[in-house]
Formats: sequence, structure tokens, C-alpha cells
Amino acid sequence: MLYKELTSASQKEAIERFKAKGFPTNKWEEWKYASLKSWNEKDLDWTPAALNETSSASLQTQNGNTSFHGTLPAGVEFISFDAFLVANPTIATKWEQRFPILDQNSLYDLNTALVVNTQVLWVKAGVSVDQAITHDFILSAAQASAVQSRVIVYVETDASLTLIERAYTKEGSAEVLSNFVQEIYVNEKANLTYVKEQDLAQNTTHIDHTFITQLSNSQVDLFTFSLNAAYIRNNLHFYSDGENVVSNLNGLYVPGEDQLMDSHTVVDHRKPNSESHELYKGVLLGNSTGVFNGKIFVRPDAQKTNAFQSCKNVLASTRATMNTKPQLEIWADDVKCSHGTTTGQLNDEALFYLRSRGISLANARTLLLLAFVQEVIDRVTHQETKLRLTDKIISKIQTSLAI
Amino acid sequence: MLSIKNLQARIGEKEILKGINLEIKAGEVHAIMGPNGSGKSTLASVLAGREDYEVTAGSVEFFGKDLLDLAPEERAAEGLFLAFQYPVEIPGVSTTNFMKSAVNEIRKYRGEEPLDAVQFLKMFKEKMSYVNIDQSLLSRALNEGFSGGEKKRNEIFQMAVLEPKLAILDETDSGLDIDALRIVAEGVNKLKSPDNATIVVTHYQRLLDYIIPDFVHVLYKGKIVKSGGKELAHELEERGYDWIISALGE
Ligand SMILES: Nc1ncnc2c1ncn2[C@@H]1O[C@H](COP(=O)(O)OP(=O)(O)OP(=O)(O)O)[C@@H](O)[C@H]1O
Ligand SMILES: [Mg+2]
Repeated sequence: MLYKELTSASQKEAIERFKAKGFPTNKWEEWKYASLKSWNEKDLDWTPAALNETSSASLQTQNGNTSFHGTLPAGVEFISFDAFLVANPTIATKWEQRFPILDQNSLYDLNTALVVNTQVLWVKAGVSVDQAITHDFILSAAQASAVQSRVIVYVETDASLTLIERAYTKEGSAEVLSNFVQEIYVNEKANLTYVKEQDLAQNTTHIDHTFITQLSNSQVDLFTFSLNAAYIRNNLHFYSDGENVVSNLNGLYVPGEDQLMDSHTVVDHRKPNSESHELYKGVLLGNSTGVFNGKIFVRPDAQKTNAFQSCKNVLASTRATMNTKPQLEIWADDVKCSHGTTTGQLNDEALFYLRSRGISLANARTLLLLAFVQEVIDRVTHQETKLRLTDKIISKIQTSLAI
Repeated sequence: MLSIKNLQARIGEKEILKGINLEIKAGEVHAIMGPNGSGKSTLASVLAGREDYEVTAGSVEFFGKDLLDLAPEERAAEGLFLAFQYPVEIPGVSTTNFMKSAVNEIRKYRGEEPLDAVQFLKMFKEKMSYVNIDQSLLSRALNEGFSGGEKKRNEIFQMAVLEPKLAILDETDSGLDIDALRIVAEGVNKLKSPDNATIVVTHYQRLLDYIIPDFVHVLYKGKIVKSGGKELAHELEERGYDWIISALGE
């Protein structure tokens, strides 16, 4: 492998750690179903050229390069991570120990070593950003490439923010492995709503690591809609590090022919009196593979935690497979936790009922699948995004069932 | 319109229908009665096209077409309707929602223009009045948490919307209170015309007081063992099925 000249000691150490491990293979427990082994043998461009795609989004990450366009809302700053640490020296030390669960994640090291442009979206204390900030995450490469991106979102006390992310590949792009790290810090009494739409090309592999720390009385509503890509892996970690924290994790994946979508979530309750609600749903089309691995940790201090997890899947094709693994580790005794995973086919009785009313088999199946996914989509409050997602999901399901 | 000849059907290894013969003409009302488990719902399901049942012999013609050759949705488009004995719950799908799809798919099948939102609203409103059903019920997830009576009313509402040529009502009277029974029966009567026909599957005379049958058939162990006029239903109400069964020499 050829990398650019690495300057800092931490980058050099990170690349050594990555080199020692390489890309995850299916021998790694956490990557059993979603190996990236083949990328170890590829001849990759590690520093793909900068892009200049037109996009109407305020925040744009183009091949790992993040910039802000238009006027920043009042009370919002957009600066480099280095400048951010200089402006906030107390945060710098905290930053080093904030995300401890990085086991088996050589990709984080790869990102640390090679990422070139880490920017911070910084919402100041007490600021309520009323318009959603759109974030277009665009990939495009002339030859097989690995793209490293990193974005930091820092929401100060009593502030609130809505982010709408759309990840996509430019048409005609060569094969890309996208390794995207996001570190999000939501301070006391702050709110964050974050919708991720992952609609990438069939030759894109997209790995999203989203690590969120929440302090007391904060709320995060996170949505991950995985629509298209050969391979999508979401490593979503919530560190609930305060009291009365509310963490809502919503996920919907609709993998189709030759697609794999893997959600690995961690909710780590470290303090008492907080709650997390996790709702994941999957519609598996064609010969697709789905993976859901949901870990909940309730630390000894985290008494009176309410942690709920549900993962429901419909195999819309006999060739699709779904692997689910809930993992609860509870060290506190006074907690309410529940988890449930189901995977099944559409109900034959319901299908017959609808057909007996004149609805074709394909349309009856679409109706039932939409009813199934609606629960997740309906939780999106940003209307435009909700409609766009609904349209995309309907057309994906219809196209797949029509074959 | 409907001609059933020697219809035999089974599920798995179990023979349920063992040679049904039945002729139905436009304008007629046929009542099918018979003990529990005799095959009444099975007959209704086979006619509507449920694929769990395997037809092993016989034929069914509907307006000259081979009914058994059609998919359930094609049968509906040809004018067949089944009011289910046990309507299924469908989470997340409301009656108005799927009935719009149903109506427009059927219209498409018949080469008619689709209805728009305003036309639907008007039509639904009119049909709701037939069975005195509330809009709020139609906006809820189908049958989820519906009372027994609400489910049956909803079935007849759908029938009113689809205006079938042949309606099969499978124990639509069960679970209805006395007033609802009258309302639903009146709804069915309002939809009656010289061009359509109705099969009423029931255990009790009381529905037949409102929907007066031209013919009454007794189904027993997968066969029609006796047919008669509306007075046969009265006789069954009084005497039960034993006298018919013993006459069969079983
Ligand atoms: N899916 C099935 N699997 C096995 N047996 C079945 C199935 N469906 C129906 N049967 C059997 O077929 C027979 C006829 O059932 P069916 O529901 O047609 O009776 P019915 O006349 O409608 O009875 P009821 O008056 O109780 O509604 C019964 O013995 C029933 O158990
Ligand atoms: Mg029955």
C-alpha cells in the first residue's frame, strides 16, 4: 500500500495499527457477515482527487473534503478541528477518552491516519437552529479508491439542531470504499435530530461510524435509512453520559439484489435515569443480506435506566437472508430493558385478503411492505425528507417486486 | 352467472369439498346452511381463489369464464366478492387506503378511467351511509382492534364500494347486534339488483328474515345434501340437521 507522507505521530501510529490488522475479514466476530476482506487485495487510490460537484446543500463533504456553503445560521460556526481544539482547550483532553468502544475497528485507525480535512459544525450555547442544515456527502472516483471523511458536530448546552444528510455517489464513478467517521457531542439540555439517507451506487461500499456522546437532559433522534449500495455498514454508538438523557435510534434498511446492509449499534448507559429507544426495521429484497447487531450496556452506576430495542424484518424474497443478534449486558439491578427481534415473510392471509379485493399480488405486497416500514418513516418530522424517503422506498420495493 | 359442477377440493391430505353442484342466476339469493365444519367457508374460499386449497376435480364457470383459472384479483375484477367470516387484521393499512387501490385496479382491468381523490370522497361517503359506518373506522388500520360487529360492517362497506356481480357473505350476521343486523341486511338489500346475485352463508334464520333467499341449500360433509325454498331455513331452525342427516342413512 502506498500512502501519502504521514506527518503527525498519531497518524503514524494509526497507520501502523491499521497495517497490522488490515480490512476486517469474516474471521473477526463483529464482521462475520460483512467481511471487507477483498479490499485487502485491491490496488487502491488512497488520496482520490478533490471534487467540485454542484449541490444545494449547506454542508458538503466531497470525497472527504467538507465545506460550508451559504450563510452560517446565527450562533453556528464551521471551523477546522485543530482550530476548534485551540478555541476549546478543555475539550481537547476530554476528546481523547470519549469513545472507548473501538474494538475490532481497524477502519477508525485508517481514517485517523489518512483523513485530511476534519471540520467541526459547532452550535453555540442556547442557539436553536430553526432551519434544518442539509449535508450532502458525495463520492466520486476515477479509479478504485478509498475515501476517508470525518466530521465533528458539537452542540453546546441548550442548543438544538436538525441535520439532514444525504450520502450518494456521482454517476459514472469507479469503485469506492467510503470510510466516514462522525463524532457528535450533545451537551446538557441540547437536542439533535439527525436523518441519514444512504443512497449510493452499486459499486460503493460505505462504512459509517457515528459516535454520539450525550450529556444530561439532552435528546438525540437519529435515523438511518439505508437505501442503496453494494455494502453499507453502520457502526452507530451512543454514549449516554448523563442523567435524563433520551436517545432514539431509528433504522430502516431496504437492501436489494447483491446488496448487504449491516447495522451494528451500541447504546452505552453510564449514568442513572436515562432512556434509549431503538427501532430498526428491514425489508430484504432479492438475494440481499441484512445484519443487525444491537448491543446495550447498562453500567453499574446507571440505575433506573430504560432501554428498549426492537428489530423487525420481512424477507420479501426467498433468496434473502437476515442475521440478527441482540446483546444486552446489564450491570445495574434496577433497570427496565427489553429487546426483541423478528424475521418473517409477509402474512399470506393479509395478501389473500387484499387480492380478493382486486389488488394485484405485487401491489398487495408493496402495500403490506410500505405499511411495515411506515412506522419508521412516520417518525421523521422534516416533511420534505419524509416524502422523499417514502417515494424512494416505494419505487425501490415496486421495482424489485416487478422483476 | 355461476355454474359449479362436481367441485372437489382438499387441503393437504384432507378432502373437504366432495362434489358440489350449484347454479346461480342473476337476481337470485341463495342461502347455504349446514353444521360447523361442513365446508361452507371452504367453498367460499375456493370460489374467491385462496391458494391453500387444491381443487382436485370439477369446474366453476363465472359468466362463461373458467373461474378456477383466474387469480383472486382477477376474480374480484370480474365481479366476485367475499365478505370474510374472519376478516384479517392488517396493521398499518387503512380501509380507505387499500380500497382506493382496489377500485382503481379493478377500473383499470375493465378499461375504465381511474377515480380521483374528490370522486373517491364522494363515493365513499355515499357507501358509508349504506351501512352506517364511521369515517374514523375506515381511517384506522384494517380490523385492528375493531369489534366483531365493526369488522362485519366494514366488509359490507367494501362490498358496497366494489358493487360485485356475485357477493358471498360468509356468516356476516355473526357478531352483529340486533340493530346492526338490520342495518347490514338493509345495506345488502339496497345493493341488490336484477343483475347481481348473493350467496348468504349463515347458521340462523334471523338474517334470512331480512335477506330473503330464493333457494336454501344444506351443505354436509362437503356436499349439498338438500336444497329447497326459503321455508327450508325455517324448518332447519326448528328441527336442526339430524333429520336430514339420518335421511342420508349415515
Ligand atoms: N387450513 C386448513 N387446514 C386443515 N383443515 C382445514 C383448513 N381449513 C378448513 N379445514 C377443515 O375443513 C373443514 C371445513 O371447514 P370450513 O371452515 O369450510 O367449515 P364451515 O362449514 O365454514 O364451518 P363453520 O360453520 O364452523 O364456519 C373443517 O373440518 C376444517 O377443520
Ligand atoms: Mg365457516
